[in-house]
Amino acid sequence: MANINLKKREIECKIVYYGPGRCGKTTNLDYIFRHFQKQVTGEMVTTETDGDRTLFFDFLPMGLGKIRGYDVRLQLYTVPGQVKYSATRKMVLREVDGLVFVADSLAVRRQKNVLSLKDLHGNLKEYGLSIFKVPLVMQYNKRDLVEQGIPIMSLTTMERDLNRQLKAPSFPASALRGDGVGDTLKTCIKLTLKSLRKQMGW
Amino acid sequence: MDLKKKIKSLLQHAELYKSQGLLNEALEKYVHAGRIIKKHAAVIGNKKLLPAVAKRIKILKAEINRIEASPDMSVVPENVQDIIKNKFAFTDREETRDLEGAVALAKFGQYDRALREFRVLMDREDLKVNAAKNIIRCHVTLNAMSDAVGQYREWFDQSALRPEELNKLRVFLQSILDKKGIKETLPGKEPEPIVREAIVEDPGIMDGEIILPELVQGEILGDADAEEEIIDISSVEITLEEGPGKWRTVEYDVSFQSGRVINLLISSSDKALIEILRTGLELKKVHFYSPIAMFNGEGVVFSKSRIESGPKQGDYSLDIQIKHIR
Ligand SMILES: Nc1nc2c(ncn2[C@@H]2O[C@H](COP(=O)(O)OP(=O)(O)O)[C@@H](O)[C@H]2O)c(=O)[nH]1
Ligand SMILES: [Mg+2]
Repeated sequence: MANINLKKREIECKIVYYGPGRCGKTTNLDYIFRHFQKQVTGEMVTTETDGDRTLFFDFLPMGLGKIRGYDVRLQLYTVPGQVKYSATRKMVLREVDGLVFVADSLAVRRQKNVLSLKDLHGNLKEYGLSIFKVPLVMQYNKRDLVEQGIPIMSLTTMERDLNRQLKAPSFPASALRGDGVGDTLKTCIKLTLKSLRKQMGW
Repeated sequence: MDLKKKIKSLLQHAELYKSQGLLNEALEKYVHAGRIIKKHAAVIGNKKLLPAVAKRIKILKAEINRIEASPDMSVVPENVQDIIKNKFAFTDREETRDLEGAVALAKFGQYDRALREFRVLMDREDLKVNAAKNIIRCHVTLNAMSDAVGQYREWFDQSALRPEELNKLRVFLQSILDKKGIKETLPGKEPEPIVREAIVEDPGIMDGEIILPELVQGEILGDADAEEEIIDISSVEITLEEGPGKWRTVEYDVSFQSGRVINLLISSSDKALIEILRTGLELKKVHFYSPIAMFNGEGVVFSKSRIESGPKQGDYSLDIQIKHIR
């Protein structure tokens, strides 16, 4: 549940980008940082190790302006994708308000997508949250690689693998070029605010 | 010809996966290409191809090993630590937010910074003892017992703490030392034993008024323990059902405590135990040891996670929420 400061009239929402290693989570935040300057309120902070792998999280603070007199702030996080960083993933997921699941369109990563979604499901459950109820958006990333002649899954396959039951809004994307990045984020914000309104009784 | 095309395509894919940081996928493609080249060496005729691919494979393998073996950067820059401190302090109570922030730093393995924060918090009357205990816990977690003792002695010499506060810390650390079999007696003494009993035993002497014993006791206890809402647990003994009718008792030191949640570190070698202690598991039979007493109670496994960096890498960190204490 969002962090609501009644005295300061501030609401802090947390949106987490989840997904297997190297699927493009950090690239999403990078793009947002560079292209949504009006909404970005501070530096993007990354924790990358030498293999440019995310160690703890990436962090990007944003502001959405005032809603009903409340200053609504948004914090975007990514989780480390590698399987061994499960503890950190869980810590970052704590008190999440909205989620973007970034899936890798590369056919060789098919199973990794599914495993990561399962991992998300399990971690949410441990916090008493249901993946069916949390505001969630699917992103099928790296669509640009089709042009490279590399095996890429069709959107139908990805929908079937990952979104058959969840039926979350989904977007094809190329985080590298920026295609679909804004739509993904905007939809996630919309769902997150909708659920916030419900919680606040607005 | 087909064969050459196939090899070319495999090598191209390998390059692309590599550029995406997907090293294992890249390796697989190179190995596949290498196998084909070897098998059809006569047809292909290019003698330089196989050594070139072999070299790529070697470099890639070295890179994969390097990433896997390299100790994860355990200390992150100050600005990242600030985020951990400010954004990972999950509590509803404003008063304890700073303490939670420092505990979060410790949980992310940022011990030096955590120690610095706990030291600052020692200036806060309401958090002083709690912060001091967490300083000791940091040293204990790092297995730096001499630092823990040194720290206590420093506090003892400085007289920055009130005698009853100092005594709490002495009892706390002494019990850890005793449990670890470290022969060291901390300076300090038991507080004047039980003024309250004197009063309780002879309530009549107080201005000729009759004071109810419970009230007097309550007042004195309340005063001394005002800042202490939850008892400090230094270790726990948990009895678990390992299989039908098969019981096992384990004992663990508490590495951190934050309110009703205690944190234990479980060695990676204890696989069976890690397996059993799944999140949500109700622990019906727990002995909670505080430095001064033992309580029976119940708890629940709140979260379990593997430690990824620092000296305890590979071990498991377990949060247990205390349900009842009897
Ligand atoms: N071609 C292409 N590459 C991408 C795309 N998104 C990410 N990448 C690349 O995939 C690799 C991993 O991306 P990164 O954002 O670090 O993944 P993370 O582990 O999920 O944070 C990098 O080499 C990126 O350049 C994309 O849309 N298209
Ligand atoms: Mg990343």
